[in-house]
Amino acid sequence: MTAEPIETIVAPATPVGRSALAIVRIDGPAAAAILQSLTPSQPLAEPRVAAFRRIVIAGELLDECVVVRYASPHSYTGNDLVEITLHGNPLLITRLLRAVIDLGARAAEAGELTERAVLNGKIDLVQAESVASLIAARTPLQAKLSLTNLEGMLSRTASAIRDALLQVIARLEAALDFSEEGYDFISREETREKLEGAVAEVRRLVETYRRGRATTEGLTAVILGRPNAGKSTLLNRLVGTDRAIVTPIPGTTRDILRETIEIGGLPVTIADTAGLRASSDVIEGIGIDRARNAALRADLVLYLIDAEEGESEMDRLELAQLVERDVIVVYAKSDLADPPVGELGISVRDERGIDTLLSLLDERVRERYAIPESSSAIVNERQREAVASCEEALVASLAALGDGLDEQMILVDLYRAANSLGLLTGAITRDEILAEIFSKFCIGK
Amino acid sequence: MNRVFDVIVVGGGHAGAEAARICARGGLRVALVTMIRDAIGRMSCNPAIGGLAKGNLVKEIDALGGLMGEATDRSGIQFKILNRSKGPAVQGPRAQCDRDLYSLAVRAILDAEPDVTIVEGAVSSLIVEGHAVRGTVLVDGTTLTGRATIVTTGTFLRSLMHSGEVKTRGGRFGEPSAETLSNSLQALGLRLGRLKTGTPPRVVRDSVDFRRMEEAPGDDRPRPFSILSDRIALPQVLCHLTYTGDVAHALIRTNLHRAPMYSGQIRATGPRYCPSIEDKVVRFAEKERHQVFVEPEGLDHPWLYLNGISTSLPPDVQDGVVRSLPGMEHAVIGRYGYAVEYDFVNPEQLEPTLQVRGGEGLFLAGQINGTSGYEEAAAQGLLAGINALQHVREEEPLILRRDQAYAGVMIDDLVTLGTEEPYRMFTSRAEHRLLLGCDSVYERLSPIADRLGLLDDGRKRRTAARLNRMRSATELAEATDLKPDRETREWLAEAGIDLTTQATVGRLMQRHAVDVERLLAVCDVQLPNLAAAFRDLTEDELEGVMSRLRYSGYIERQQREAAKLAEDEDVRIPADMAYELPGLSREMVEKLNRVRPVSLGQASRISGVTPAAVSILRLHVRQRKRRVEGSGASNATSRVPSSLEVAGAGR
Repeated sequence: MTAEPIETIVAPATPVGRSALAIVRIDGPAAAAILQSLTPSQPLAEPRVAAFRRIVIAGELLDECVVVRYASPHSYTGNDLVEITLHGNPLLITRLLRAVIDLGARAAEAGELTERAVLNGKIDLVQAESVASLIAARTPLQAKLSLTNLEGMLSRTASAIRDALLQVIARLEAALDFSEEGYDFISREETREKLEGAVAEVRRLVETYRRGRATTEGLTAVILGRPNAGKSTLLNRLVGTDRAIVTPIPGTTRDILRETIEIGGLPVTIADTAGLRASSDVIEGIGIDRARNAALRADLVLYLIDAEEGESEMDRLELAQLVERDVIVVYAKSDLADPPVGELGISVRDERGIDTLLSLLDERVRERYAIPESSSAIVNERQREAVASCEEALVASLAALGDGLDEQMILVDLYRAANSLGLLTGAITRDEILAEIFSKFCIGK
Repeated sequence: MNRVFDVIVVGGGHAGAEAARICARGGLRVALVTMIRDAIGRMSCNPAIGGLAKGNLVKEIDALGGLMGEATDRSGIQFKILNRSKGPAVQGPRAQCDRDLYSLAVRAILDAEPDVTIVEGAVSSLIVEGHAVRGTVLVDGTTLTGRATIVTTGTFLRSLMHSGEVKTRGGRFGEPSAETLSNSLQALGLRLGRLKTGTPPRVVRDSVDFRRMEEAPGDDRPRPFSILSDRIALPQVLCHLTYTGDVAHALIRTNLHRAPMYSGQIRATGPRYCPSIEDKVVRFAEKERHQVFVEPEGLDHPWLYLNGISTSLPPDVQDGVVRSLPGMEHAVIGRYGYAVEYDFVNPEQLEPTLQVRGGEGLFLAGQINGTSGYEEAAAQGLLAGINALQHVREEEPLILRRDQAYAGVMIDDLVTLGTEEPYRMFTSRAEHRLLLGCDSVYERLSPIADRLGLLDDGRKRRTAARLNRMRSATELAEATDLKPDRETREWLAEAGIDLTTQATVGRLMQRHAVDVERLLAVCDVQLPNLAAAFRDLTEDELEGVMSRLRYSGYIERQQREAAKLAEDEDVRIPADMAYELPGLSREMVEKLNRVRPVSLGQASRISGVTPAAVSILRLHVRQRKRRVEGSGASNATSRVPSSLEVAGAGR
């Protein structure tokens, strides 16, 4: 097959918005020529060497940039590729994109550069998916997880489940295809035990999704407590800015304020909320409802109690609503009164207990939400769907078994389970099944 | 001398017979070349047809207008449905046959076709014109020319028989080998491989004491294979079961060095699922005994076939092993077991039509393609015959999908995956097994055969009648409410069904706990039309209707899955596709070039071709298609409907 004529495309490689720098990529055979047109009377940059260039459009200087030119096939996409790093002003970017399009390129569709990389064999599809995760990674642990996936840790975990399934499938198949051989290949009881074991394993894998999602998408934490317990002060301290307005007047915070910081290697979005009290103010009442709802949806709740006032009846009632949640009770303003024995006290004013709180949070996140760095986890929706439908099919096969249906019906669901898992591990082939049977049993008249 | 036909069939075994017959049915003049006229339809190994998955193949052959089912019904002396206790889709009919009567039945069926000419002789080479094969040259110099040539040489290509240390040229006891035809195949660029198979000793019936063996009876009511048969006419007989033990195993171990498979005398690969007794003893040393089925070779045949101890050990060891079996203490061996080695063509080199890629007009079927088994051979012979017919008529080939027939699964496996050992059909090779039950075979395949003009009026009439009976019973059951009286409600309650409101008869029949006979007895009184429709069904048809009602959920799910997969079958890969694409590993490129898949679906089944690779192929096929679109090459073929297809007919 002759090489397909490919078009030259252009796309911003960084999110559009105000930033220090932004990168625009031009991919395709005309990339170098376009670069040359954009940098009149300046030499064409050597491949893979960063060069300082003035971009001139219609005789007018657009920006002073750094350009890197990659020659096919030694580029991300495998094509001729130019990367222009300019200043991160949306107006500049738009003008550059328009100029490049005027010079014969077309705007790239979403993901088109990566598709070209796949088509040219620079990366495979699973890697492409992980690349998407890497791009979205906001913390080092997230990036590490994406890299681990690239190396197939998840596949290995799923492979163990696949092996167990292969054993059961092979024996059930043998019971159908070689029923005259005088073997009891597998009892219904043993089938049930093996499948229940597999379901448990699959559920553990599903559990990693929760952690995987926390790692890629981050966590939410809510600061909750009665009015004037010091919630906004704590938020400002954690964020390190005067994000929330702090006054001695109870009910100052009405709507929810959110800021994201890194805890335990994960991005944690912390929400400051309206103080909990019975209020006749309609607006404040709405804010209080929102606070309670946010706490019920949050991964973590920091429940603040004024150390001077101690735990009130209202605090007890509020905490009772949160028994299912992951709650850390913190006594604020501990410079004014000591917290009860064994409880964590902080004072933002004296900078007391803040480190303890931070390391407690850090530990909690690492322990319960982050993925141990050496383990694997499901990180994307496609993987989650695969494992979830595997679980569903396994449960259906157990139901068929319980209903007294014979091997072939149980197998219908087991193959479904195996095929779902196959998205992570590679499918179970018919030859593997036969090989397993013939290696374990003496078959053949 | 040159003789002109439309099609030349080389070989008169199970593949050759089907191929010749179906081409004649399609109106072609056929030459069937065989070394020995009397060997047509001969059962080289066990005297039985069918079994698990294999029985389904026989039914498929019958539904497509083939002869194997008919010949079996005319010669069967013990019929049994295997897996009776399991779901309908994995039940497989099997029949012990009278070996001689089977062969005679095949001959009689071929003799009834005036367009089949049997030519006795040995083929020495193929007539090749450029890339096309135009017939054969016989050893005596006669040339047979035709537009298509179907080679079904079984185990006869450069075949060598082994019995202990003794080697004899030949493909079957007392029959010579075809020594030169392999050269013609190689000259066409085909790669040949070598396989091995074996057969057990036959003992003289009168020297055996059956009282020391277990009886192995068939079904009380033998059920015919063919839609043309109402009943089995021959008397039915018993088989027996005995076992090997310590003595036999010790004897085999002591003499292992004299077994050709172990002495290095045979290097070819034998089938894993049909190991010789020496293999069983070595590989499964912990097994204390191995089953031996003692099968009559015929109603009046003097020999018994010892199924389970195929061997190429020397005769003196075979004597010892046989006499160690309970009941065989004084047995006399009538013919010793032997192994046979033969050339085969790795089937990756074939198109899904069984035509050789790069050998226009040349079709291969049966053991030459690396399969084993009469049924596998016959199904290939039939499909090769149909495709040769279509080739001669210049019409669209017939490629059965994997969700349509076991024959489709088998041929797709062969041409996509190739094979390293003799290939046998198993139900587990089919991913949509529930759709491939014997009960639905006429519905699935007969309309196809009818469209191709392969069914005679008798077959058509019987098929249509069967489908109508099953359809009306099913529809009535699904549409009719049963208002149970108190008594009925009570016994249904005993079966665990709480029936306070009314339900359709179909819904009640879905429940495994419901006794259908009893339910029909209630219907006799309350719903006489429905009861009559059910009473009209044969036992076999009733089972078909019941299985459809009972497993409809599973069946529909498999149909959906199959339909989804079928989409990729429709994405054709151009014949001149170059696979050296970025993103595909060298191994994958090599495999794709070897198999040259016709569709994306087939490509996805090649071992080692990953889903990612299929995505890459898809992108390239799509890109290429975009480029050629607008050239206006549309080849819409008009499809003649079959009278067996009725609007809204179930599956």
